Amino acid sequence: MNAIVFDHVSKDYGDVLAVDDVSLAIEPGKTVALLGPNGAGKSTSINMLLGLLRPSRGTVSVYGRTPRQAVAAGQMGAMLQSGQLIPELTVKELIDLVRRLYPQPLDLEEILKLADLTDLVNRRANKLSGGQSQRVRFALAIAGAPKALLLDEPTAAMDVESRLRFWESMRAYAAGGRTVLFATHYLEEADEHSDRVIVIARGKVVADDTAARIKASVGGQVVRFTLGEQPAAGLDLLPGVTAVEIAAGTATLRTSDADATLAGLYRGTTLDVRGLHLTGADLEDAFLALTRES
Amino acid sequence: MLYYAKTEALRMLRNRRYIIFVVLFPVVFYLINANIYGTQTDSAGVRMSTYLLVSMAAYGALASSMMSSAVPWAQERQSGWLRQLQITPLPSWAIIVTKLGAALVLVLPSLLLVSVAAVLQQGVSMPAGQWVALLLSLWVGAIPFIALGLFIGSLLSADAAQPAAMICMFTLSLLGGLWFPIDAIGGTMRTIAGFMPSYHYASLGWSVIAGHGVSMSDALIVVAWGIVLGGAAAYAYRRATVRA
Repeated sequence: MNAIVFDHVSKDYGDVLAVDDVSLAIEPGKTVALLGPNGAGKSTSINMLLGLLRPSRGTVSVYGRTPRQAVAAGQMGAMLQSGQLIPELTVKELIDLVRRLYPQPLDLEEILKLADLTDLVNRRANKLSGGQSQRVRFALAIAGAPKALLLDEPTAAMDVESRLRFWESMRAYAAGGRTVLFATHYLEEADEHSDRVIVIARGKVVADDTAARIKASVGGQVVRFTLGEQPAAGLDLLPGVTAVEIAAGTATLRTSDADATLAGLYRGTTLDVRGLHLTGADLEDAFLALTRES
Repeated sequence: MLYYAKTEALRMLRNRRYIIFVVLFPVVFYLINANIYGTQTDSAGVRMSTYLLVSMAAYGALASSMMSSAVPWAQERQSGWLRQLQITPLPSWAIIVTKLGAALVLVLPSLLLVSVAAVLQQGVSMPAGQWVALLLSLWVGAIPFIALGLFIGSLLSADAAQPAAMICMFTLSLLGGLWFPIDAIGGTMRTIAGFMPSYHYASLGWSVIAGHGVSMSDALIVVAWGIVLGGAAAYAYRRATVRA
């Protein structure tokens, strides 16, 4: 039996179609990224999975049950996009409160360890930093040992180090054979932390594959450096380059093969290359590419 | 669910505004007024120090009922905490019932503290049976006001719930004769007070201390208000948590 199934699911808010005839199935034990820009329908899909929203058409099921049944059975845990804590309660009290609502919760110690909160047990929620509250919210999501864990842009308020620690925690939790579905608009996050990436745009699934293959299909990376007053001629002829932009003395090259482009840039030109940046293709490009195809 | 109720109560006891307005204010107000008017007697021959005990205990209970329900509840709806609870196995009726139960427990500190102040500082005394009848009726009689608070909290945003709860609380206290004895003002005020659930609520207590026991007509009116406000709260709660 699949952990999560969407069977021709649509959701409209008045005239706006937020989710448009989505069908997909996720096997138990997988970690899947739901990748899409803001407004793509990620949160709507997650809220339907949790039974917080009802699909306009089609059915959603979780381990063969309706979302409401799965929630009542304690099979679901989630970190929703907005969710403040009760300011007057301590970390321990909050976690204990939620875990006692589930039939077979994790041990408090285990939750604290997984969410990296052992040092903060007695801190009140209103004294936590943004990243720390996110960790508490993660702790609340896993407290009941849910078989399906849903994370809606979990790293939104985190700095780089918190992000790294967060994904480690997520992996540790997923390692127990649990199913994790997380929404993100960062391609890198989807790439590094999932077994499979489902890309959605304007409410439709536009790609569903491993991260590596999706990235390859949308072509590439971005090389950016300070050009200054030097001539830009010839940059578009470097190997791999698919597009060139020059703005305010900065050159931005899109490439399908960054290694070849860089080699060409250093060896094949006499340019004085400074302030070089190499980044993955951003999602904007991925989406343009993917939605154009569909 | 019991643990949930316990944490609900705990968090309010850690809330400074709750402690000041709900627990300390009635006691201080009682002590001031009782020291000025305490030795006088009202028309029924009851010492003012006892009469004011009922008024301030009723005010404290009313304030507690509304403060521990309206604003925290509106905030939880808005901040996403309610959603966090909705995705746990806790059924949604249990959330509101727990809120009600916790708010009811939180009525006790102000009731008891005003009573203790009355006994210790004003030497108020009455038979044990009267104490029980008084405290029990003021305790259970607070349910309609908790329902009113939850109604406001389900209907309004946290920003709007705050003044709305305050206005309701002051109106009910003032026009219900909790701050100034209705007899002292008389006439029109009396008529207005008759429409206030708070007046009949406090009358439960006034009737007890006058030695008349719990007045049935007041009790019925409070119960009727309880049903109306409870129904309104349940309706607003359903509306606030409905799944689109």
